[in-house]
Amino acid sequence: MDYSRPELADHLAADYVAGTLRGAARRRFEALLPAHPSLQRAVRSWQDWLMPLTLGIAPQTPPPHVWQGIEARIGGAVVQAPLALPFWGRLTFWRGLSALATVAALSLSVLLVNPHPTQPPLVVVLSSAAPTTATATEGPVTASFVASISGDGRAVVTKPLRSVSLEPNRVLELWALPASGAPRSLGLISASGASVVQKNKVQPGTAALAVSLEPTGGSTTGAPTGPVLFVGKLGS
Amino acid sequence: MPPPSQDWSERSRDLSRLLSRAGLGDRAAFATFYERTSSHLLAVVLRINRDRSQAEDILQEVYVSVWRAAQGFDAAQSQPLTWLTSIARNRAIDSLRRAQTQPQFDSRSHANDEDSDVYDDKADHAPGPLELLSQASDARALGDCMAVLSASQRQSVALAFYDGLSHAEVAEHMRQPLGTVKSWVRRALMSLKTCLERASHSDVSASRS
Repeated sequence: MDYSRPELADHLAADYVAGTLRGAARRRFEALLPAHPSLQRAVRSWQDWLMPLTLGIAPQTPPPHVWQGIEARIGGAVVQAPLALPFWGRLTFWRGLSALATVAALSLSVLLVNPHPTQPPLVVVLSSAAPTTATATEGPVTASFVASISGDGRAVVTKPLRSVSLEPNRVLELWALPASGAPRSLGLISASGASVVQKNKVQPGTAALAVSLEPTGGSTTGAPTGPVLFVGKLGS
Repeated sequence: MPPPSQDWSERSRDLSRLLSRAGLGDRAAFATFYERTSSHLLAVVLRINRDRSQAEDILQEVYVSVWRAAQGFDAAQSQPLTWLTSIARNRAIDSLRRAQTQPQFDSRSHANDEDSDVYDDKADHAPGPLELLSQASDARALGDCMAVLSASQRQSVALAFYDGLSHAEVAEHMRQPLGTVKSWVRRALMSLKTCLERASHSDVSASRS
């Protein structure tokens, strides 16, 4: 068939947009579309004509879980930190975050095979897990790490908002916590500066990130052995 | 590009802005975009696929792909609401194709019931497709122009467009030969095009005067 014939293109486009073109014919038409500008033009015209006719259909508000599902799949919202945290207003926090963003951008540009990332990085704020933990608390500041997960989950950049003082034979280990099941180690992170972790991928379905205190070299059991110092949830 | 109805254009202008911000990764803008469009979109999808959970799944798929494609959206090429509604209708129509292998979802099997008209009476007393088409025609003052079409021609295109019926399903529903229905739908589509074209020209000249 000669799809550049205007009349044929117009008829096919009309059937396609109205929905009466079905089955194999519809799939064939969709396959042809990218290579035929005249078909594309015809389709656009028919869409412009017909779509406004749907305006009279009485709206149906979707239930909240529809949006929650979408939000989860597009990378979720930035984690809601506890309200009225002083660190949001602090210059050091924003300095830390912008430094982090730079590191994240650099590591992304190195890591990404796909030149068009489909999802932007996700920023997670990790707060002190237990305010009584002696190493973690110092005054009212509860948020202590910021982590940025690349859109594809292959890299995580972490940075403490303030240095965490550790005994010499202790290190910090980053974990991905699934909604259910055992935590997975993502690697060791620095207690004082930015770390880029790309040993293990953050799997879809990860509910939270956690930082635990471990002996030098990290946990040998595959699970956190020391206390969990910081936790931050992904999305809602 | 022919200018569609004014309300559609006005809504599209705001949506263009939200969409371009979403294209830059602004989730709050995308949430607002969803808020403003999702109830229309769900209604459009539900007319075609009446299985509520499937319709909700389709809605999710549509918005996830819109989020991913937002960066490439070209407001100069098409209006957001037109673009969005087209994507949703496509997904809904494709879902019918898949549903055919799952007869438990096939509400069309009731079409054989002698005394019931499922398309016009069911669906929570929602207006039937013909009524929707009349409303849309009235809203755009297409009445006189559309009067050249017979009631059957109008009904055939309304069933196909609003409720996603295939030619064969329209034929079955109206108890008419397939060939007849095909030519009715085509004739009705071509008239619609002519009438809408004429209406948009008068819209333009009205806004100029």
